[in-house]
Amino acid sequence: MGIRYTRTHAALEGDIAVDDAEALALWLRAQRRPAVALKAVGHVHSAVLQVLLALRPALRSEPTDRWLRAALGLPPVPPSEGEPA
Amino acid sequence: MKTQDLLDQFVQEARECLERIGQRLLAVERDPANRELLNDLFREVHTLKGNCGLFDFGALEHLVHAAEDLLDRVRDGQIAYRPALADTLLDAMDHTGTLVDRIARDGRLDGEDPAAATLAQALRLHLTAPDPAPRGEAAAPPPRAMPDWLSALPDGERPAGAVAVTYAPEPGCYFKGEDPWRLARCAPGLRHLAVHAPTDWPPAPEAFDCYDHRLSFRLVCDAPLAAVQDHFRYVPEQVDCVVLASERADPAARSVPANDADPALVALRHHARALWTAQGELLARPGVAAASVESARRVLERLARILGLDAADSLAGLAPGAVPLATWAREHHPDGAAAADRTTDESVAPPAPRLGAASAASPSAEEGHSGDRGPRVLKVSQDKIDRLMDLIGEMVVAKNALPYLAARAETQFGQRELAREIKTQYSVINRIAEDMQHAVLQVRMLPVGTVFQRFGRLVRDISRKLGKEVELVLEGEDTEADKNVIESLADPLIHILRNSLDHGIEPPDARRAAGKPATGTLRVSARQEGDRVVLEIADDGAGIDTRRVRAKAVERGLIPADRADALTDAEAVQLVFLPGFSTAESVSDLSGRGVGMDVVRTAVERVNGTVALSSMAGAGTTIRLSLPLSMAVTHVMMIETAGRRFGVPMDLIVETVRVPAEDIHHFKQSQTVVLRGRIVPLRSLNALMGLDDPPRPNPEGEHAVLVVRLGGETIGLVVDDFDGTSDIILKPLEGVLAGLTGFAGTALMGDGSVLMILNPRELI
Repeated sequence: MGIRYTRTHAALEGDIAVDDAEALALWLRAQRRPAVALKAVGHVHSAVLQVLLALRPALRSEPTDRWLRAALGLPPVPPSEGEPA
Repeated sequence: MKTQDLLDQFVQEARECLERIGQRLLAVERDPANRELLNDLFREVHTLKGNCGLFDFGALEHLVHAAEDLLDRVRDGQIAYRPALADTLLDAMDHTGTLVDRIARDGRLDGEDPAAATLAQALRLHLTAPDPAPRGEAAAPPPRAMPDWLSALPDGERPAGAVAVTYAPEPGCYFKGEDPWRLARCAPGLRHLAVHAPTDWPPAPEAFDCYDHRLSFRLVCDAPLAAVQDHFRYVPEQVDCVVLASERADPAARSVPANDADPALVALRHHARALWTAQGELLARPGVAAASVESARRVLERLARILGLDAADSLAGLAPGAVPLATWAREHHPDGAAAADRTTDESVAPPAPRLGAASAASPSAEEGHSGDRGPRVLKVSQDKIDRLMDLIGEMVVAKNALPYLAARAETQFGQRELAREIKTQYSVINRIAEDMQHAVLQVRMLPVGTVFQRFGRLVRDISRKLGKEVELVLEGEDTEADKNVIESLADPLIHILRNSLDHGIEPPDARRAAGKPATGTLRVSARQEGDRVVLEIADDGAGIDTRRVRAKAVERGLIPADRADALTDAEAVQLVFLPGFSTAESVSDLSGRGVGMDVVRTAVERVNGTVALSSMAGAGTTIRLSLPLSMAVTHVMMIETAGRRFGVPMDLIVETVRVPAEDIHHFKQSQTVVLRGRIVPLRSLNALMGLDDPPRPNPEGEHAVLVVRLGGETIGLVVDDFDGTSDIILKPLEGVLAGLTGFAGTALMGDGSVLMILNPRELI
């Protein structure tokens, strides 16, 4: 598991380790309209979280984890996915 | 109870207390952050002080009181535990031990004791001059301003008694392998977690360094402060914990009466309710074990009492089994029957009466008090056990007379029927006697850990004195052996440890130069091997310098120079066991007082043990002690020579052989025989014992040879005949016979005769 880079967005899947943070930051900065998909993300390392918060990419999909949602400023209960944390 | 009895009990308990305190002090020193240990330590000292208070031992009480005060402050986190403080405490406890000894001797403690006063003064000094850098968050004064971010939270996310944590990881934390986000989200009882970014956030994308941690976290944890602090134990300087007070507008806290507003109480009651619910869940499981039901019942009973529910009485009359209890638990749930089905309930706070004066006591502490009952232990003095042992020994002897009686009934009186009945009865009594003997031996069994306990202190003191860094590793403390064996071990072991510390393990600099870790390891392990206990003391020090050992042995005149050179290294190492051998250049305080390894060997051999030593230059030394599990019963081989019967301890015997007379080689005075390609020297037992009869061969012209092992060498003893083996209770020689050499003791045989047990070591 890790980050899958597509043409339009980076899909974060499973646990994202500290090593992935730099690549993600570089990739996001290189994009004109950076976007990430967090639907399948598990635990993100602090460094990755920091990248997400610093570069504020658009969210293709929202994470399900309650605390990660809170950290990204999303409402506590996902309205569309309906999956509780 | 008479005053004397009371005093005896006090002395005994005080000694036990002191021993435990000594252990705890060392344990706390290794792990100062462990609050459990500190609490334990404090409790022990507190008990000791309480005991002192029963008598009028002013000096003693004063000293222990000072220690208690100091520990109290340490426990509260107001003073950090540090080596200097530990030294003072250890000294104080040592002196307390001396005072207790004095009380044991004189039955009183008169007047002032200047040493105790000085030590108490020293303890108080630590009290008034607290550590300049107190330990992290524990040192902070409890009443603290709430962090301002808290007020922005909704009420539901900050229950009273919860802990508000501000966690600011350091910028370079990723490089230490830390993941602050994970640490924060895994905090116990997490209710709220917010990421707080610095003011210049978000940074310009070009300037952003993703491996420079800039975020901080704000948490609210609905868990005890200790649990939260434990969770953040690796980063104590980066977290700031504040316990939320109840007046911070928590609805749960408001609904209880005003005098119950204590946040700790609210939190406790919350936990009590959660416990109650958990019991219900446990009981609802299919096939719950009877023991679980019983413990659930006990927990519920205690909870009911703590929560002040009047339902506690009805619990007693309940039918046994899980179902009635589960029903009862649901009906009497403190939150009402409906709430019992929910797993946890934060919003409802039942109007429960106050816990009383014990407001600070947690439920676990409450249970700890009444749970102390545990397994019942009788304290029996050793004399009584020894008396029991003697009686059983006599019983074994008396029982062994029955087969003789049966034989007489048959041969002398021609009563075969009766003889058979006697034999049947004998086998029954025999079985019971063996069980009894076994049971008493079990009582006398002690774990070797009782001896190991002293080592921690010893190693600490000596290594500090020598400026060495030594880690003591103890293994197999649970291995059991007879009390006498264990006790006879203490001195040799201490001697070996001292040797290892003094001569074996090098100073840190030398170790580093040799490419070894600066801290030496001293490993003491015990295990059971068959019917013997094997103890190994291994250090990873310099090993024994065989060149020096050879030179020393020659210099001391213990061995001729040419023989010393001919020895292999492994053999040369054994020279340290020679009496009068000591390699220490200077007589130090610790070892090298001319008392060498020979004392160790003598002490171990006295209890039928053996010592083996192996050493690798530069890699360390290992000493292996092998001891019998029990000394009470000895297996002996009975032999006959010159018309007399003797016993030889079984553990010395290698084999018994019959050697044709013509196979014995005579060379001057000595005789040898070749057994399986090895030359075994032969000695005639008759000659050794000063009996004039020549050895008697059997009709086939063969001599009976008992091959025994004496410290690594095998020797053949020529006797007249072998006579089977027997279990005997060995009685040492007493009175006028005490000075007799060559005999280990006597034993009473079943036919009433006395068997002399030989000690071949002394004979040869």
